[in-house]
Amino acid sequence: METAMEPVEMAKSEEGARMKETVPGVLGLRATFRLGWRNLRRNRRRTWITATTVALAVLLLQFSNGLLVGIEQQSFDNLINYQTGHAKVYADGYFELRDEFPLDFAVTDTGAVLAAVRAVSGVAAATPRLTFQAQLSNGLDQVPCLGVGIQVRGSDTDVFRIPQTVVDGEYLAEDGEGILLGSGIAEIFEVSSGDWLTVLAKTQYGAYEALDLPIVGVIGTGNPLIDRNSFLLPLATAQYILDMDGAVTEVAIRFSARARESVTLDRLAGELGASGEYDVKGWREMEQDFMSLVQMKRLGNIIFLGIFIVLAVVGITNTILMAAYERTREIGMLMAIGLRGSGIRRLFLAEGALTGLLGGAVGSLIAVGLIIWLAGIGINITAIYGDIDIGYPVKDSIYPALNVAVVTGGWLLTGMLAALASLYPAARASRNRPVEALRHV
Amino acid sequence: MTIAASLADVHKSYQVGDLEVPAVRGVSLEIESGSFLSIAGPSGSGKTTILNLLGALDTPSSGTIKIGERETKGLTPKMLADFRNTHLGFVFQTFNLIPVLTVMENVELPLQLHGIADKDARTTRVMRILEEVGLGDLADRRPNELSGGQQQRVAIARALVKEPTLVLADEPTANLDSNTAGEIMALMLAMNKKHGTTFVFSTHDPLVMEHASRLVRLRDGKVESDERRNGNGNGAG
Repeated sequence: METAMEPVEMAKSEEGARMKETVPGVLGLRATFRLGWRNLRRNRRRTWITATTVALAVLLLQFSNGLLVGIEQQSFDNLINYQTGHAKVYADGYFELRDEFPLDFAVTDTGAVLAAVRAVSGVAAATPRLTFQAQLSNGLDQVPCLGVGIQVRGSDTDVFRIPQTVVDGEYLAEDGEGILLGSGIAEIFEVSSGDWLTVLAKTQYGAYEALDLPIVGVIGTGNPLIDRNSFLLPLATAQYILDMDGAVTEVAIRFSARARESVTLDRLAGELGASGEYDVKGWREMEQDFMSLVQMKRLGNIIFLGIFIVLAVVGITNTILMAAYERTREIGMLMAIGLRGSGIRRLFLAEGALTGLLGGAVGSLIAVGLIIWLAGIGINITAIYGDIDIGYPVKDSIYPALNVAVVTGGWLLTGMLAALASLYPAARASRNRPVEALRHV
Repeated sequence: MTIAASLADVHKSYQVGDLEVPAVRGVSLEIESGSFLSIAGPSGSGKTTILNLLGALDTPSSGTIKIGERETKGLTPKMLADFRNTHLGFVFQTFNLIPVLTVMENVELPLQLHGIADKDARTTRVMRILEEVGLGDLADRRPNELSGGQQQRVAIARALVKEPTLVLADEPTANLDSNTAGEIMALMLAMNKKHGTTFVFSTHDPLVMEHASRLVRLRDGKVESDERRNGNGNGAG
């Protein structure tokens, strides 16, 4: 009579010389998932219905997230290309009062500041700008707006991408007079290139000044602050109107493509901020309100659509409950041959996780396909919404963007949520008493 | 002769509502190693309860049960699972094979649960036992591709693969026609003789009882008779 061998003894026996021990009483992870996968195929229709619910929720979340990431990236590019550059140097004290556009906090030694900025590693270009409050008038109506004096000859186009946004007429001439008008203002006045408007503004000493200027071109950047509120004119003309005598309100900076933003900002702050005369601000800090809004929208989107995923995943609880009930006798048999309660739990957790991963994979793949397709052709928001402000500075079309880390992370998270959703039915199944489970009909 | 399992004054009652229903009433039994023991009796006589108690699937209300030298009383569910895996093999009336696993994988399962990580070692052992039960060439089939008799052969292979102290078979032929039932009993007997494994099986089929080396008849939860027969089984009993 051969006697039964304890696991360790068996490892020492004949062919058992090659046998290594794992934890007895539970199946290994691979075997658990393999059995779990096959069990999912027992009732394919039920598995697919559950997985499809998860897939739809994941598709919605991933696609809307791709859309948000795309819009955000376009918005950031828009801000950098048309409004803020990567950074700006202000005279100390200006930034705190920036909403009032105070002309008495000006950069007066523009040449020296430009030279210092351009010498900083990581800086690709720098240009002076003079931003001021003004009124535009056609003789009948007046519209409050922002004037921006730019250095046409030389540097503004090195930092900003305004010339590409001209929708009517042309960009400012190097030695000409005139203004580039935001498309929104052009609509209000019903003017186009070749028409004339009067610029009314207070000099830095408080005196009123007016100047008639021709509209050289109309720009449409997709940025409401520019299109609906701003006009651009040569720096010398702006300085003449405001009596600024070579001074500017800011020096705008573009970083080189490979520069690390935070490092370059630190260098600039070290170079110019140390004296206390100047203040260096990165574009994110300048657009703090917008950045907060972006964060809020992103969080809102995740919470709102996360609820759908949680609801979908809860469907898995039901599916696993049913599966465990149907297989009660099988659970009894597995327990009889030595599978511990923890092994039963693992088995059903694996089935839940696999359902989540399956649905998550389908949803993610469709979302990725949609994102890639629409990133190529864009979604024409003007055609859908007309001129309604969607809250982001983007023009005409939005292009969803793929974030592989978010898609992968979302997929794995769905699997984890699905496993969590299976905890209750798995724990319930593991509490079966083998003798009762075997009697189950 | 060594003792494979023993019951000493074992009682088992079930609570049905306010009523306590006795299923086993003071059964004492010593099962020698290598026995081919049949527990017979009408429905409700306590056959299945005795098998469940011997199989550490259920606990007695009172009395002592030993498998080998080990008492099963006081073991936690985890310890009982490990104990069953190491010492016991089960053959069920309804085969209870896992339909999504192949014959090979079904038989391999107890070895995986035994903690044997080496796939080749498991395969060698599984193939050897499958050859012994005559299913060597059906290893890759799924249970639904097998006849009832073949499925029960797989169940027997699964019970024997880890060389247990005791194999418990609850009405192993009840779902089979008489020819196949005879073949299954012959196979169990052959395994008993070849490996010396102790078999305890319940039945109410007189033809099946004929194979036993020892026949214990139960009635109303008590041992009615205990008959030893020569010529059958491994010689023990």
